[in-house]
Amino acid sequence: MTADLAAVLFVAAALVAVGAFIAAWRRDLTVALAGIPLMFAGAGTAFAGVSRFAAAPAGGAQLLGQEVAVLLSVAALAAVVLGLGLAGREGRR
Amino acid sequence: MDSLHAIGFYVSAAISVAGGLSVAFLPDRIRPGMALGAVAIGVAGIYLSLSAGFAALVALACYGGCAVLLAGPAYRVVEANIGGIWRQLGAVGAGALLLALAYAAYFGNFGEHSYFGGDFGTAAIGRRLFAHDALATEAVASLVLVALVGAAAAWRARDRSR
Repeated sequence: MTADLAAVLFVAAALVAVGAFIAAWRRDLTVALAGIPLMFAGAGTAFAGVSRFAAAPAGGAQLLGQEVAVLLSVAALAAVVLGLGLAGREGRR
Repeated sequence: MDSLHAIGFYVSAAISVAGGLSVAFLPDRIRPGMALGAVAIGVAGIYLSLSAGFAALVALACYGGCAVLLAGPAYRVVEANIGGIWRQLGAVGAGALLLALAYAAYFGNFGEHSYFGGDFGTAAIGRRLFAHDALATEAVASLVLVALVGAAAAWRARDRSR
């Protein structure tokens, strides 16, 4: 059993599509925010896969995809924090 | 990629996609939050099987943090004021997006190399983040700062208006 770049990109495509589906399908907008981390995770998976399989094997270029995956994870957390802050907190009236 | 990493990759991919579908269909708030936690574990497993150990740790922390925030009962329920036809159109659009991306993945002409990262890669990633690509890191740090300040300001303004 093995996994190649096409398999990684299929999984990344599935994650992005599921994230878009969550954002479109959920009525509760705070739960619909969960689609953002999934889409970012899909993009990060594609970057990490290209870094693993298709990056030019010279210098530090292989790590660029992993680095972008790290930055995407942090950006997803920031987006969810901002969205939940805009939604507001329950109680304390 | 050897068999052990491939099995880990496929299992993690199944966990993450199943967790994502659970987020879409489970009711309430807590269960989708827990499903998003499963997505975090799955994505971390995918990164780990792709020899990106440090990215796996960061993804586990960040996506797990998203799951904890979303599962918490402290946030209001905000119902979208849109009809069913728009939700169905969005779902069809997500399906079309999947088909387009899968087509690109299958028919793309990618040059493959058998690079294996080997070690965990924390030091190398750190050197790239804080030396080679420090500007991108600063940009993301600014985004996080603006998001936190904006969330705090929105929170305080909403509390003051009550």
